[in-house]
Amino acid sequence: MDNYRYRRADIETLINEVLTFSENNPELAVHITTVFRWIFVVLAAYILLISIVSLLTTRATPEIWGYFMVEDGGGFPITHWENVIGRSKSTDITIPLRTISNNHALLVRRSEDKWMIKDLSSNNGIKVNGYRLDPEKRYVINPGDLIEMGGTRSTITPPSLEETRNNRYMRRLDREPVAPWKILLAITAFQLMTIVQLILGMGTEITATALISIAVLSAVMWAYVMIFNAMGRRGFEMEMIAFFLSTINLAVTASSDPSSVIKELIAILLGLSLMIFMCIYMRDISRLRKIKPVLIGLSVIALLINLIFGTAKYGATNWIRIGESGSIQPSEIVKLAFILIGAGTLEELYEKRNTIVYAAFSLFCLACLALMSDFGTALIFFATYLVVSFLRSGDFSRFVLTGVAAGAMGLIVLKFKPYIASRFDAWGHVWEAEFMDDLGYQQTRTMSFGAGGGLLGLGAGNGSLKYVGAANTDLVFGFVMEEWGFIIAILAVLCIATLSVFAVMHIVAGRSTIYTILACSAATMFLVQTMLNVFGAIDLFPLTGVTFPFVSTGGTSLMTSWAMLAYFKAADMRRNASLAVRKEE
Amino acid sequence: MRKQERRAWICLMLVMVLLAGVGLFGYRFVKSGGEWATFYGNTQIYTDGVINRGTITDRYGEEILRCTPDGVEYYGGYETRVATVHAVGDPQGNIPDGAISIFKSQLIGYDILNGTYDTTANGKKIALTIDANANRTAYEALAGRTGAVGVYNWKTGEIVCMVSTPTFDPLYEPEVSEDEENSYFFNNFLDGLLTPGSTFKLVTAAAVIENMSDRDSFTYECDGVNQIGEGENAKLTDVTEHGEVNFRDALAQSCNGAFGALTREVGAKTMAKYAEKAGLTEPVRVDGIETAAGSFDFPKDDDIKLSWAGIGQADDLVNPCAMMVYMGAIANGGEPVQPTLIKSATFIKELTGGRSLGRYIDSDTAAELKDMMKNNVVENYGEWNFEGMDMYAKSGTAEVGSRNPDAWFVGFTDDEDAPYAFVVWVKEGGFGSEVAAPIAARVIRSLGSVSE
Repeated sequence: MDNYRYRRADIETLINEVLTFSENNPELAVHITTVFRWIFVVLAAYILLISIVSLLTTRATPEIWGYFMVEDGGGFPITHWENVIGRSKSTDITIPLRTISNNHALLVRRSEDKWMIKDLSSNNGIKVNGYRLDPEKRYVINPGDLIEMGGTRSTITPPSLEETRNNRYMRRLDREPVAPWKILLAITAFQLMTIVQLILGMGTEITATALISIAVLSAVMWAYVMIFNAMGRRGFEMEMIAFFLSTINLAVTASSDPSSVIKELIAILLGLSLMIFMCIYMRDISRLRKIKPVLIGLSVIALLINLIFGTAKYGATNWIRIGESGSIQPSEIVKLAFILIGAGTLEELYEKRNTIVYAAFSLFCLACLALMSDFGTALIFFATYLVVSFLRSGDFSRFVLTGVAAGAMGLIVLKFKPYIASRFDAWGHVWEAEFMDDLGYQQTRTMSFGAGGGLLGLGAGNGSLKYVGAANTDLVFGFVMEEWGFIIAILAVLCIATLSVFAVMHIVAGRSTIYTILACSAATMFLVQTMLNVFGAIDLFPLTGVTFPFVSTGGTSLMTSWAMLAYFKAADMRRNASLAVRKEE
Repeated sequence: MRKQERRAWICLMLVMVLLAGVGLFGYRFVKSGGEWATFYGNTQIYTDGVINRGTITDRYGEEILRCTPDGVEYYGGYETRVATVHAVGDPQGNIPDGAISIFKSQLIGYDILNGTYDTTANGKKIALTIDANANRTAYEALAGRTGAVGVYNWKTGEIVCMVSTPTFDPLYEPEVSEDEENSYFFNNFLDGLLTPGSTFKLVTAAAVIENMSDRDSFTYECDGVNQIGEGENAKLTDVTEHGEVNFRDALAQSCNGAFGALTREVGAKTMAKYAEKAGLTEPVRVDGIETAAGSFDFPKDDDIKLSWAGIGQADDLVNPCAMMVYMGAIANGGEPVQPTLIKSATFIKELTGGRSLGRYIDSDTAAELKDMMKNNVVENYGEWNFEGMDMYAKSGTAEVGSRNPDAWFVGFTDDEDAPYAFVVWVKEGGFGSEVAAPIAARVIRSLGSVSE
């Protein structure tokens, strides 16, 4: 506590010094911002481009878990924990024989020498060691067991010591993720400059607590990287991106509402802790399967509580008040559960019951969100549901049908909710005299102030969009454009796009579909959320009022964004990169 | 697993949509960023809906107004304000084509790199091409009548004088009037569409020169009535009986009978073509402003109406600015220079000339017209009225309904240091050469560089 007071005094001294300096040298002070704007953009480009390039150019060589040896057909390396054997080219182990069904069998690795096999209702069935398998059941088999399918004889052999060594050697040759140190230094420089710029921009309106929060974020960032680096982890690009975007979040919040910065910091710390916990928890697939029913129950309760006790903010009743000034958004937290409930192991994907449970849960969530009039979040959930269903079933026609049906439903909703429909009137026409000061007010201001920022921005604290409602949440893209410039705003969008491309790229080396679906699903959620936020603010889409991941002010949303990062970490199969994967020797 | 891998393209599709959207926005940002940033909703640069930074001067740096967070400050007196308000614009934005509206992104100093970032918050100083003194002179010369005076340098394209009346004092802005045509806010020079009267004979003459090789042997016997058919309307009355006139005399004396005959000889189709070639049917682009576009009707089956149309009556409507540019075309060998209101890189413009609008008429045609316009001055208007100027001109007296006719005087000077094309229009002024010509002379003299 003494220590805190000491720091607080320090920062107050800093504020006074900077303010005195700028009072005594007004000419020089404005030029500090002029120079800072350039440095900010250069630092941001350095931080984000290095991280983005590292994420997109480092690919993991798939690990080999065993060989599937076919008589007279040679051996197939098994590169996933979950594999489909069949005639179809889209299977993981393809045996092009007429007697083999398209998707014949499911082969799942359980542990070092335990495998599980299941007949996927094939035409000619499976025999193991001469015993005919029941298609409904799964069987544990050992390496060396004789597997007969459609007249072929095959077996699983564990990789030999040499092959294992070889594979590890190959993986060691993979390009390593970029080392975090230079990026850390760049972010720290960015944060310190942000503190000075905020004092220059805000003057006496800035609070010491807000500035300390930025410094604490910096310290937490260093601690996080140092601890996990010491524990042998190598990949930090995603966290670097998240820490950078969080810095922008704190700066945006400091500029618009200095007293809330501390809340944002707490949300980051909670989110970061939750992310670490989830990463470690998700290492074990069986735990994930067990927690699902619990999460369904908790989500249902959370949404029901929201429906009953919720309070309205900007038209949507998606908030619950806690105490005097606190409030949380249960639907944001339910996002985390929603992703997990939609994901499944390959085996689960072949279970009808699992699919029905997911569909029912999705429907419930959508109904609740509709009742709360939170149509933006409903759209995010629905889009995620669509994409996940497609990833699970591959049924494109159903994907389209569901989309069309939902579109029709949406039209019905519009008919009964003129408040929502009116937003569509202004859509694409916000610059027309009829809308520019009315339904298009927020969008025209976003674009006007945003364009006023130019490529380099006016400097943190110098913006004026902050006086427009929801500027630091729904319109945050314009906020960032105005204070930080078009380049940094675009880089923030590229970060979200990169996380998504990364998730897709790493399916090749994925162990289980549960991880790849988690990552793709989280990616979809981030993407749709970003699209709705950005496109809504700049009139490419009706304004729906959702947050920009990491950047928008709002504790619950910020915390969820951080926790969601765990799903991306779980898909990162680069050697010892991610703390969501057990360490390799 | 491979199935999920293949299906994951759908996530990449979403990425593409996101990037495409941001790309589209980026394009719009580059294209319209200046417009967005200067939108009145931007409270960084607007105070109570009025732009709060930037200074407008005339071509010699005489400050006309300065925008500050406390409102617009004017320099110069009442006469400067009323004489320049249509060029400079008004804080309330009632004059949509004023510099304060059209050049607001320059005033603010918007550029795509810095946006509206400005360490001084004083904005930028922009110099218009107009000469405040010439504007005051034109305003005085119009003497309370409704009218328009436009003068531009036909070599560089700079509009040095632009006055429209009725006008108003932007310090005490009047109420918006219902009648747009007579509104204080209406700029007759840029937005007016007026009956050209005999000034249009310069277009008919161009058609004759390029289409009648035997024009030198053309003669017409003018009896002052010039009956061409049955009925009261079927005569092209002239002020006096001109007697036998050739083509050259016909223009100098502005003989309606002769030009009616010439029009009929050239034909409706060719007349329409030349109205278009003279640039009178399209809007003129002056920086960000588009002027009104003139319109004509040359009927093929109605000789009487065709004759009237050929002498600038009937349904003929021209825009004064377009007429001025046509004068620039004749002066500049057939290729006019685009007019501009903002002064920039004058040095280069003076070396290379302004931006050409392309060829309107042949250089030979231009030369012959120029010669005939000099003849007009010598024979009809009197060179002594334009002392020290090498003047080429055509007057017009446009009949509009039963009211007093509108007076026109259009043309150009061809002096090394004073290459000015001009248009003067005075509503209900009377005879062009009597009323409008002295205004032109006075304004051009006020521009200086005219040897006394």
